[in-house]
Amino acid sequence: MISAIDSIGRFTLDTYSSVGSTLSFAARVFLRMFRRRAYNSASMTVFISQIYFTSVQILPLFLFVAVIFGAMVNGMVFQFIKTIGQTDYLGRLLMGFVVTEISPFITVLLVALRSSSAINAEIAVMKVNHELSTLEIFNIDLIDYLFVPRVLNGIVSMVLLSSLFSLAVISIGLFVSSVVFGTAADAYIDTLLRSASPLDMIIVWFKCAAFGFFITLIPIILGMNASQEMTSIPVAVLNGMVKVFSAIIIIEVLSSIVRFI
Amino acid sequence: MRFFESEEELQEKLRDFIAAHKARLGLVSSEAPLISNLPVWSNIALIPQYHQNMSWHDARTQIDRLLHRLGMASIAEKRNPALTREERFCAMLLRAVVVREAVVVLDKPFSILTNLRDGNFLMHLLDKVDDLIAEAHIFDYSWAKERYGVAADAED
Repeated sequence: MISAIDSIGRFTLDTYSSVGSTLSFAARVFLRMFRRRAYNSASMTVFISQIYFTSVQILPLFLFVAVIFGAMVNGMVFQFIKTIGQTDYLGRLLMGFVVTEISPFITVLLVALRSSSAINAEIAVMKVNHELSTLEIFNIDLIDYLFVPRVLNGIVSMVLLSSLFSLAVISIGLFVSSVVFGTAADAYIDTLLRSASPLDMIIVWFKCAAFGFFITLIPIILGMNASQEMTSIPVAVLNGMVKVFSAIIIIEVLSSIVRFI
Repeated sequence: MRFFESEEELQEKLRDFIAAHKARLGLVSSEAPLISNLPVWSNIALIPQYHQNMSWHDARTQIDRLLHRLGMASIAEKRNPALTREERFCAMLLRAVVVREAVVVLDKPFSILTNLRDGNFLMHLLDKVDDLIAEAHIFDYSWAKERYGVAADAED
């Protein structure tokens, strides 16, 4: 009994300490994003290459998923709406569910699977190879050069890719609505615009930004925690990805609380 | 040149030297490897791009010129694992000399150039970039003196 309480206590303290150190590091990186010195030529080169790896290279897979998913969801939504005869709810369903909930969620899963794991492994390998200490020897600030461009890329990529995903789904919806209901394009767009709430859109952008921030920051932290041994790399990536998915769930829940309460 | 009897002594003196010259330090050491996911030119360009905010294009031009000066233009796009020992050393040396008013420290250069018998290659390289270096210091073991053409019983 005592050992059970002991392990619960240890788990609580470890979790508290881990969340505390993550948030403290997050605050440091966040504040550094507003410092002009962080945007030098070297950091901007890293930022551009990160945008290319995260937002451009993923496009074929991303658009394929968006089209397949859009066709599937739109098919189900339109069929459901038609069955219950509540066409007034079409816009609300597409904007309130697909655009604000599903698009950011699918996007963050795809980006996390691809980029978070890559960032985690990259930082861990750099740590093991003494490349991080090399940068420090040459007076290169790790936060300015390595972390800010990656985190900023996470935020920008998430907002852009999520918007692109929504656009793809809505475009397919336009096609499906004209086939199923024979709706004109302007009537469909008008329905969507009437259903769009500015507050919801602001919350979605904030949610995407928070997703982007944490799915790049957490892999960095876990990569930095790797020891000097090669065997610590897979452990760092594994732990990083588990924490990334925990963060995604937490942000999703928090944004839903803000939106619906 | 500074020669030391033991690893501990060398490391201690090197640490002190690095701390004293931190702002202008250009270290060439097996303990300070090239960044493996960057090509050679980016590894070198990183220094002026970060510290002097030099544009990508200007940095590229400068690094190409320096690589050409050492006869190493062909390694610009190569990454660390693809380099020979000499090429790696040249890249690390150039990364050190592009530090503004560089105090270049060569830490046990033969631990990188393990295939070389003497310091001719090293001295030849230093001559070629002499105008870019404010100071150059070599830290090595006493038993390696002869490789630099220094008599074994000579003072440091």
